[in-house]
Amino acid sequence: MTLSIPSTGVIRRFWTRRLQPLMSGFLSFLLTLFGLLVFTFILSRAAPIDPALQLVGDHASEATYQQARHQLGLDQPLPMQFFNYLSQMLQGDLGVSQITQQPVVDDLAMAFPATVELATVAMFFGALIGILLASLAVYKPGSILDHIARMISLLGYSVPVFWLGLLGLLFFYATLHWSAGPGRLDDIYTYTMEYNSGFVLYDAIRTGESEIILNAIGHLWLPVAVLALLSMASITRLLRAVMLEESNKEYVVLAQAKGASRLRILLSHIFPNVLGTLITILALSYTSLLEGAVLTETVFAWPGLGRYLTSALFASDTAAVLGTTLLIGTCFVTLNAIADALTRWVDPRTR
Amino acid sequence: MKITTLIIVSLAAYLGAVTSSLAKTPDNTLVVAQSLEDITSLDPAQGFELSSVQSFNNLYQRLVQSNPDDPTQLEPALAESWISSESSLTFTLKKDATFASGNPVRPEDVIFSLTRVVKLNLAPSFILTQLGWNKDNVDSLITKVTENQVKIAWNVNVGPQFVLSLLTAPASSIVDEKTVSLHEKNNDLGHAWLNINSAGSGPFKIKKYVPHQILLMEANQTSPAGSPKMNYVLLKNVPDAATRQLLLEQGDADLVRNLGTDQYFSLQGKPGIKTLNLPYASLYYLMFNADNADNPALGKPEFWQAARYAFDYKGIAEDLMHGQFAVQQSFLPVGFNGALTDQPYSYDPQKAAEILRQAGIENPHFKLAVSNQPPYLDIAQALQASFAKAGIDVELIPGVSSQIATNVKSHQYESTLTAWGPDYFDPHTNASAFAYNPENGSKTLAWRANWHIQDLNKLTLQARSETDAEKRTQIYQQLQREVRQSSPFVVGLQNKKLVALRDDVQGYLQGITPEMVFYKDVSKSE
Repeated sequence: MTLSIPSTGVIRRFWTRRLQPLMSGFLSFLLTLFGLLVFTFILSRAAPIDPALQLVGDHASEATYQQARHQLGLDQPLPMQFFNYLSQMLQGDLGVSQITQQPVVDDLAMAFPATVELATVAMFFGALIGILLASLAVYKPGSILDHIARMISLLGYSVPVFWLGLLGLLFFYATLHWSAGPGRLDDIYTYTMEYNSGFVLYDAIRTGESEIILNAIGHLWLPVAVLALLSMASITRLLRAVMLEESNKEYVVLAQAKGASRLRILLSHIFPNVLGTLITILALSYTSLLEGAVLTETVFAWPGLGRYLTSALFASDTAAVLGTTLLIGTCFVTLNAIADALTRWVDPRTR
Repeated sequence: MKITTLIIVSLAAYLGAVTSSLAKTPDNTLVVAQSLEDITSLDPAQGFELSSVQSFNNLYQRLVQSNPDDPTQLEPALAESWISSESSLTFTLKKDATFASGNPVRPEDVIFSLTRVVKLNLAPSFILTQLGWNKDNVDSLITKVTENQVKIAWNVNVGPQFVLSLLTAPASSIVDEKTVSLHEKNNDLGHAWLNINSAGSGPFKIKKYVPHQILLMEANQTSPAGSPKMNYVLLKNVPDAATRQLLLEQGDADLVRNLGTDQYFSLQGKPGIKTLNLPYASLYYLMFNADNADNPALGKPEFWQAARYAFDYKGIAEDLMHGQFAVQQSFLPVGFNGALTDQPYSYDPQKAAEILRQAGIENPHFKLAVSNQPPYLDIAQALQASFAKAGIDVELIPGVSSQIATNVKSHQYESTLTAWGPDYFDPHTNASAFAYNPENGSKTLAWRANWHIQDLNKLTLQARSETDAEKRTQIYQQLQREVRQSSPFVVGLQNKKLVALRDDVQGYLQGITPEMVFYKDVSKSE
């Protein structure tokens, strides 16, 4: 057996080293999504809400109600309904949402960019300030900086986000006029500018008109600040704990004994060792933002994924709920895979 | 730290400079902030939610329309005149009336519009199928007479006055057959296209509609209803009432709708803002399931009677809800033809307890399913307290309204507190809900209450077919009295709509039914 010809060895090695992990990764990705769909489908059907009644309203006639039941496929057995959905989905058709009467794909194409825009900018600032605060806290544990960092993160953790949003609006929009109002753009631009990509900031920059760009920023910064505070709080808390734990390890004590400065210890000893954990923390924080922040979106009239999913859930709009779940699930799995790969890359211990 | 502070302050100052000159609403546009999330469709054959029917009077016209100032008066709209017979109406269409597309309004458009409501069989179709219309016969009952005349016939025992009031319903809006047919797909009678577009003759037309985000309407200068004063009406979705209030105060919205009492009162007296408390035809009522195995007392007329005295009408309307409600104890709302406005019941917990004792009902109690949204839950909590004083133990079961509707429609409830709004401007719309249970599969309110009423059924049908206006009113008053005296319904409150607008906005008109919202004469001074 050891005398196998080299070419097959190469193929086999390629198979076992590269292709097999990739294939099994892809398979587990599909299985995860399938499990997610089954679970969501069962949950949405177990909810004590009649989707047909929700669609036609409680004034409609029995004939109308029965027709709606039939059109929604509710008169078929549950497994059949799920099978129909799956076969449709495999053809790229996520069905028609009941709440908007539009294809779910179109709805998601509109709501998802709004959420991605908000989440990404918030994540950027949240991570930046979060990492900074945690590092400052660990630089001198117990110092005034540490207390401030802990207080800010506790505040961000415990203050209800809708309250913070409303207060922000009251203060920065209504009193100081530093922020533009709720929504993504002023009304004048809402119907003079074409939303092509769904990312208002990007579309605004493409128009090249500074007035529109500034207007988009004026609308964006306050909800971003609220969400950034939220993600910053969790990043600071988690990262601070991990870094403090690391500071008590022997290699840090040794470095200290050898006379390394605190900054050096922090940057070249502790930081590289927590980088893997940091990536995981950031990925988790980002995915939780991508699910859509219902309350923030409500207060700021931001037409994102969170609001869409919530309206769909209340109306028991199965197609919309499943479509959104599928999208969020895909994001979650993809981001996790990227985070894993990054961790493996930056942290040799995990290889 | 100092540098950070400096950066933050300068960044803030920069942003302040960016946005300090707040953009006011454009002069040629009325900006309305409200929730648009209830809209499923803007096709008159389907749209049946508050926000969709509110747009129909602005996008479409009907043959006849109620006068918004006095809805009991019918006025010609797309019809110039009509001749009635026992089982048909012949309408002569207005001369030179055109749709927004420029196409003339023809009998074919009327036929297409009304028959498609029946054929599509969507939410509001029941309004027209009451005339005995169905997929098979409707084409033979609505016919073209001449180039500008159309005949509408029916084969059930109803009077022309009743038919006319059905034709004022939003579902009876006349759509442009030529335009809609161009967009027909899979024999859907243009439904998918009309969901997000308009093809009417109203003072506005849809310029842009993004579901759950904005509805932008543009003036239709050639509308037979007259040309509007504003070039655009922009309805934008602002789901949070407190945010709507802020938008109005800042001048970023001209009009805000669906305010809570909190917002309404804090806006009152603010400079630059007018508040309106408009009468509205929605009734809030308590309904018992008269045939509940777990709680048989709920089927006893004495229990219903006691509940009428345990309901703290005035306390809720005046103290708790601060004028967002008025007391109304009959099933026709004030403003409707024949509505009884006297109030025979008042809060008297001792009397309620006495009635229960005499009837031998011990340990009276019930579970009250109620929407977890304001004002339902607030009212339910007040009822819990007022019933407790009469010795009646109320257990609140808050839930999502869609879930409660599902339970009530399958008789899985003991009692519920909810609202009922009329579907068209005729007393039959409420009588057919509260005083009609034909037990033929139609799930009227009386059916949901498990209330069996053969005599009242006859009376309701008799009222519907009565052609003498005075006699008809008398029968409806008799029906209201009977339901008020003994039924599993305790009608207690009539809603008002709270609206606030900038004080430069003139000419806004809103009537007592949900669809009576008119933007045509709105203008902004300055």
